[in-house]
Amino acid sequence: MPAPEPAGGVPDGLGSPDVAALIPIVRRIVAARVPDPATADDLVQETLARVLGAVGRIEPGMLEPYAIVTARNVVASMWRDQDRQRRHQHRVVDLRPSQSPDEGILAREDRVAMTEALTRLSERERRTLLAHEVSGQDTRSLAAELGSTAGAVAAQLNRTRARLRVEYLLALERVEPPTGRCRPVLIAISGGDRRRQREVDAAHHLLECELCARLSEPLMGRGRDRDDEIRVAVRTDSDVVAARQAAREAAAGIGFSPTELTEIATAVSEVVRNIVRFADAGEVLVELLDHPRRGIRITARDSGPGIADVDEALRDGYSTYHGLGLGLPGARRLMDEFALASERGRGTTVIMTKWREVG
Amino acid sequence: MTTREDGDVTGSATTDSAPVRTTEEEGLLPQLVAHLREHRTRLREEWVGRINGAHLLQAMTASEMVAETTSVYDNYVEVLETGSVEELQHYARDLSERIIPRGVETHEVVGIVLLLRDVLARSLFEKYQGDMHVLNRVLDAYEPAANRIANTVAVSFVDERERVIRQQQDSIRELSTPVLPVRERLLILPIIGVLDRERARQLTEQLLTGIRTHRAKVVVVDITGVPDVDEAVANHLVQTVDASRLMGASVIITGLSPEIAQTLVTIGVDLSKMDTIGDLQGGLEEAERLLGFTVTRGGEAGGP
Amino acid sequence: MTSSPRLFSILRQGTCLIASIHTALDDSQLMVFQRDLVERIGRDRARGVVIDVAALDVLDSFATRTLRDIAEMARLRGAATVIVGIQPEVAFTMVRLGLHTGAVSTALDLEEGLAVLGGRLAGPAVGGR
Repeated sequence: MPAPEPAGGVPDGLGSPDVAALIPIVRRIVAARVPDPATADDLVQETLARVLGAVGRIEPGMLEPYAIVTARNVVASMWRDQDRQRRHQHRVVDLRPSQSPDEGILAREDRVAMTEALTRLSERERRTLLAHEVSGQDTRSLAAELGSTAGAVAAQLNRTRARLRVEYLLALERVEPPTGRCRPVLIAISGGDRRRQREVDAAHHLLECELCARLSEPLMGRGRDRDDEIRVAVRTDSDVVAARQAAREAAAGIGFSPTELTEIATAVSEVVRNIVRFADAGEVLVELLDHPRRGIRITARDSGPGIADVDEALRDGYSTYHGLGLGLPGARRLMDEFALASERGRGTTVIMTKWREVG
Repeated sequence: MTTREDGDVTGSATTDSAPVRTTEEEGLLPQLVAHLREHRTRLREEWVGRINGAHLLQAMTASEMVAETTSVYDNYVEVLETGSVEELQHYARDLSERIIPRGVETHEVVGIVLLLRDVLARSLFEKYQGDMHVLNRVLDAYEPAANRIANTVAVSFVDERERVIRQQQDSIRELSTPVLPVRERLLILPIIGVLDRERARQLTEQLLTGIRTHRAKVVVVDITGVPDVDEAVANHLVQTVDASRLMGASVIITGLSPEIAQTLVTIGVDLSKMDTIGDLQGGLEEAERLLGFTVTRGGEAGGP
Repeated sequence: MTSSPRLFSILRQGTCLIASIHTALDDSQLMVFQRDLVERIGRDRARGVVIDVAALDVLDSFATRTLRDIAEMARLRGAATVIVGIQPEVAFTMVRLGLHTGAVSTALDLEEGLAVLGGRLAGPAVGGR
């Protein structure tokens, strides 16, 4: 176990008073997300090192927010690594890409984008967010100051974070969204707000808008935070296995029988294979349902060429590749509900559901 | 590992020098909890009175009532104090485990928790009614926590009840479809009574796992005792036979009634591909023949 | 020359090959399995092949098709194939999906599979030689 790091014992070089002042905040942010103290300590050190490296390029007032964001990124990238490792652990060969030389450039762009994104928030949003994230002020006392309730402040903070993520991506890509619908859709996705997503018809917009389809991918990757939905990005054969394992695990958690679990995993396998075969990339969303019964819903979406004749594709024996032509119709038989929507040139979405038997 | 104090001093005192915030907001909940502890006896009795008045938990004796309500009360206050969801879930599960066997219904559990919430809220109201400002803030602090407790208790109770019911159903089902290993490599499944979808599903799982467990080569499924089946169940039976084949076992169906045979033909099953024998006795003879045939491979290929 | 040796193993026992899949395979890995196994059948002049799929929790249309292809290629090279170890849930799901192993035999486990092959190989040997 590493020796506890008192605030005074900062390694040489971190002696800059500004950076040293950030230590408690960084520590608090990391500790709130990472329970293991040894890991947390490592992440704090890494964050400080990154902040120190950037000190010269950041406006004085932005140092604190920058440190916050960096700390969160450092934690998130650890999660990402763990997640990737989990998804790939069935592989014998480690396919993680080695550190690329342009990582430094990317990191710099990252910083600029985040600074830019922060400036796009309203004064009030920014102030509340920073007070909460930086000074650690709790929602209750914020609510008292703002003449609001703690719940409303928390909801507002979530919306601000959702906006910040969207603005960050837009700044990073240096693009302005092509339509007026883009921002609302992206923010609804970023906030993980399903009702709002339906209101703005997000799914349909993603089929139409290339930019949003692309930007929404990292935003949706945040689904990990919720325990009733899992998202798996699909590009290669191995993602088919990852997707069906994720679905099986989720379904096992709500008491499906062994046979039903296998049926679900097999249906996912058939449907997700189609993404890998016919579209370059897509995504699988696994959701657990409560109403009207407990159940599982799998949504497989891609932005590939689409299926020319849907009826034909759902007929037994139809196969355009090395298979038995039982993929989609078979998956339909294994699930309780099955819907396929496809638009030529736009992509295909399959939504399938299996309900727990009552009793 | 020497004395605990030593470890604590070097461990935390130096690391966590972050100042504890002492806003007045944070003082509210402890104050509230202290109040509820102080008046524990009176409030608990008031609560029991309300429970009796509402005719809840009548399956409990007076002494059980005292014990349970005291424990619920203390836990409730503790959860208010710590705000720990985990502890709350623990407590709710424990509570459910204890009271479900006594036949307590869901509405009763939800009812008593809501009553307790109400009793405590009234007491807070009385205490703070002189100062509307403080009262408002006290209730703001109390209500979300109290609602969370009520929700969690209700959900845990329902989950636990469901689990118990499912367990009972499972054991009933297992009894209704016995898998009988009559001799090495041979299983008999006598099915009696109505085969609905759920039972057909059970039958499939038991038959297929039975094949693996007993390393069966032949299974005789006797459906003499099954009055009729609908198409879905008939289909299920056929699929089970096919799946058994994939596991390397043959299935013989005996006691096929004319009605069921009709259903099978209607859904397009080729009965000539299914091994059906009139009665159980004939089925067992056929099974013996199959097993003998397999063991002394290539013996009398023609058979009797 | 398997690129990922721990995904499956192919062992020789007498005139038979025993191919065991050790973990869930994706489509590319299944193709590697097919290539390696068919190559071994030719090289070893195997008369019988047992494919143990007990470790597979899913046998979907692609996997089933691959197993059938392997059996067909093995047949063309003079070897009989038996698939063993299909799990109960997997077997039922295959049937529901509309899949079957075609002309390929199945047996409960390795021991049974070898017994089936033994019977099959003994047959022609009696009349043939």
